[in-house]
Amino acid sequence: MSHLTRQELLRRAALGSAALTIPGLLSACGGEDEEAAGTTTGPAELADTLRFSNWQLYIDRDPKDKKRSPSLEQFTAQTGVKVEYVEDVNDNATYFGKIQGPLSQGRGIDRDIIVMTDNSRFPGLLVSKQWVEKLDKERIPNITNLIPAQESPPFDPDRSYSLPWLSGITGIATNLKASGGEVVTTMQQLLEDTKLKGKVTLLTEVADTMSPIMLENGDDPSKVTDESWKRAYDRVQKAVDSGQIRRFTGNDYVADLEKGNIAAAVSWSGDVATGLAANKDLRWNLPEQGSDIWTDNMFIPLEGSVPTASEYMNFVFDPKIAAMIAVGAGYISSVKGVKAEAVKLDPESANNPLIFPDDDILSKVVQFDSAALNNQTYIEQWQSLLGA
Amino acid sequence: MYLIHRHRWLAPALLLAPGLAWLTVFFLVPLGFLGYQSLQSGSFEEGYTFDWAFSNYWDAISGYKEQLIRSFVYSGIATLAALLISYPLVYWIAFRGGRWKNLLLLFIVAPFFVTYLIRTLAWQNILADQGPVVGFLRDVHLLEADGRLLATTLAVVAGITYNFLPFMALPLYVSLEAIDPRLLEAAKDLYASPTRAFLRVTLPLSAPGIVAGTLLTFIPAAGDFINAQLLGTPNQYMVGNVIQSKFLELIDYPAAAALSFVLMALILVALLAYARVVGTEKLTG
Amino acid sequence: MTTAAETVAVRTRPSVAARTWAFVRRHTLTVYSLLALTYLMLPIAVVIAFSFNQPATQFNYTWQQFTFDNWTNWDAVPGIRDAVVLSLQIAVLTTVVATVLGTLVALALVRHRFRGRAPTNLLVFLPMATPEIVLGASLLTLFLQMRFATGFTTIFIAHVMFTISYVVVTVKARLVGFDRHLEEAAMDLGANEWTTFRKITLPLIAPAILSAALLCLAISIDDFVITYFNAGSETTFPLFVWGAARVAVPPQVNVVASAIFVLALAAMAANILIQTRRGRQAKGAA
Repeated sequence: MSHLTRQELLRRAALGSAALTIPGLLSACGGEDEEAAGTTTGPAELADTLRFSNWQLYIDRDPKDKKRSPSLEQFTAQTGVKVEYVEDVNDNATYFGKIQGPLSQGRGIDRDIIVMTDNSRFPGLLVSKQWVEKLDKERIPNITNLIPAQESPPFDPDRSYSLPWLSGITGIATNLKASGGEVVTTMQQLLEDTKLKGKVTLLTEVADTMSPIMLENGDDPSKVTDESWKRAYDRVQKAVDSGQIRRFTGNDYVADLEKGNIAAAVSWSGDVATGLAANKDLRWNLPEQGSDIWTDNMFIPLEGSVPTASEYMNFVFDPKIAAMIAVGAGYISSVKGVKAEAVKLDPESANNPLIFPDDDILSKVVQFDSAALNNQTYIEQWQSLLGA
Repeated sequence: MYLIHRHRWLAPALLLAPGLAWLTVFFLVPLGFLGYQSLQSGSFEEGYTFDWAFSNYWDAISGYKEQLIRSFVYSGIATLAALLISYPLVYWIAFRGGRWKNLLLLFIVAPFFVTYLIRTLAWQNILADQGPVVGFLRDVHLLEADGRLLATTLAVVAGITYNFLPFMALPLYVSLEAIDPRLLEAAKDLYASPTRAFLRVTLPLSAPGIVAGTLLTFIPAAGDFINAQLLGTPNQYMVGNVIQSKFLELIDYPAAAALSFVLMALILVALLAYARVVGTEKLTG
Repeated sequence: MTTAAETVAVRTRPSVAARTWAFVRRHTLTVYSLLALTYLMLPIAVVIAFSFNQPATQFNYTWQQFTFDNWTNWDAVPGIRDAVVLSLQIAVLTTVVATVLGTLVALALVRHRFRGRAPTNLLVFLPMATPEIVLGASLLTLFLQMRFATGFTTIFIAHVMFTISYVVVTVKARLVGFDRHLEEAAMDLGANEWTTFRKITLPLIAPAILSAALLCLAISIDDFVITYFNAGSETTFPLFVWGAARVAVPPQVNVVASAIFVLALAAMAANILIQTRRGRQAKGAA
């Protein structure tokens, strides 16, 4: 930072404010936050270390030494900031439960960046309770690389508090050995085929499990009604009661799938993409009637270092870096120009529909109704289904 | 020293003060807070207010009676199983162990030294669907071709039994080891058969150990949630799972607190009933 | 009433069946016990065995090939070193504090008559009778209400809280059987109370204190539930395992667990050997 010239600074500021007006034009809400985003509270210096909490298997890794991440190392080389990368997010609800204690008392959680999924109610809660810091958009000129589709999510309409990390699709993974050679392609098979009894798992995330079921019922998950909820809920309830469902999982379905304890799992696209390579018995499909697409977002929790986190966000919004991460983790990026860079990195992965979904796939996936995520009745019903 | 002689109560007071203070502040007071919280109502988004919401207790009991009953049934079976499994083993060590007694005892305590979680995860691996144990059982037709051990009630109860076995075995051992062998000799001299000697002499004398072991096993087992989570399905979930999820995931403190007290109350009831039968001295020693 | 002749007759040559039955009965218990011990050690054997495994993927559940790699690179997994260090720090600190506090309480309970003995007994016993989940949850409630940050300190507080009871019970058991005459003799010989305590009492109850300390150490390192509620953003080893179990447990976890197991076993065995030797010495002297 110290060797930035005055011109450079002005240029970046100009770019920054230009970037601000686009989401401003697109967002439904007013643009009163525009000036506020330019100011920074707290120290203006970069911290020594960036403390980053993320999901597992969600960043590029050096294939010869899984402890290292090329993109993180490059960030350190470029900025001098070390990265403390902790993979302690297993499930949105559990992670939120862990951090809400200190945050509710206005205290930080020793983290500069955390990642939560937009198809849970927690990003909305983080913002509404003001438990996150505003991004320093002056440090994020690369924000212009954000794809239009991600410019205005409901929980953060002008992207003052968050930026996408990676997106993914929910689908059905099959272990052929455990399923008797049959690939499971529909939720009906998953929930009702007695051959799979006791060898099926669903996700604890409401949106991921309910979306494909609702789509199969002919309902629209992006506009949940009490009736469409009940229809899907009853199907799941029946499956749980009959012993069809072995358990509800977060990320941990991967172990059971690999070991052959389960034949089919509602699962996330990238996990199997990275697991698929090693295990020839695993398949992954989008359910025939479609399912949901979701995005994980980076937030700066209270007392996180805004300059450092913003600097990092700018770093990962460079298409080259974004390509490294997307291809390494096996998920979808929200950065423009990623595909071109990915081709240079690894030509084969550029044709991977799970990282670069084609229109066919995109037409079949929807985003879950965010209002339904906050519906107390649904929440309680879902929890009682999970056995708790 | 003079002070302590002068005021006889000072010595025990000083000795007790730090330990009891710690327990009071960090055990009793939290329980008080928990009670306070159990009478609140509200939600995470809106905040909680204290309003004597005794309905939380009723909701806890009626909403989760399945899990409550299950917890007590599972821990009851596990305790009984632990007793039946460990009694002969402990008897053997105490009476036939000779010089190797302490070493053999080490074997019983040994599982204790591997982290609880890892022990349970090891069972998860051993009982895996594609693993050798299940394979063997399928071959000898004790399990159907599609059968499994994991994600069943059997696995959960077996897990609880295994994990709490040392808690049953150790008190049993202490009481069996303390039995004077001359008493058994005397019984033999009086023409008692080995069985009779056991039933009339050994068993009654080991009663304190049985009582202690039962308590040390049953109580923690009733509140366990790890075995159900790792080895079972939601149909096996116990009260512990509900409390954990309500506290840490749903952030519904009043309900979680109420449920915790219901669990404690039920355990206390069981304890009192047990105490009446065996006498309180044996409990607190 | 049997005559002498009949008694002699009965004593000679029981039938083969009877002898076989006697043999079986004699050894059934042994066979059963050996099976039971195998059952107890099975998971541990699996854990230790798989710490030497070289898994092909990130999952460590089928045997691939033997390797010492996991042992030499035990901290190859990010976060495991910090978790183990934290667990050890907490365990040692907890042991020191809990052993001291608990021993003092045990001394008071056994040596002194005071009003409120029964309630004290109850207070000490209650944490052992409370399910861990309630202990952990209520402590968290306290910390939240007091707006006290969760982390190292709260884990430490929690661990001391639930280990004190075990120390009291262990030391008390030894104190109850303690021969007061030895102390009286020392005082008759002119020692004051403090010297008596230091030179007579303490060495004699030292084995119990040591056992209690070891117990504390084991319980603290192993604790999951109470720590889970009160750790905040810190990660102890059991918490690390829980997190790792969500995806794949790396063999390094097996390594650490095996190491802790071996060390604890060794400490216990040493403790027993020392006590046996002392016992023999005492018997020899007597």
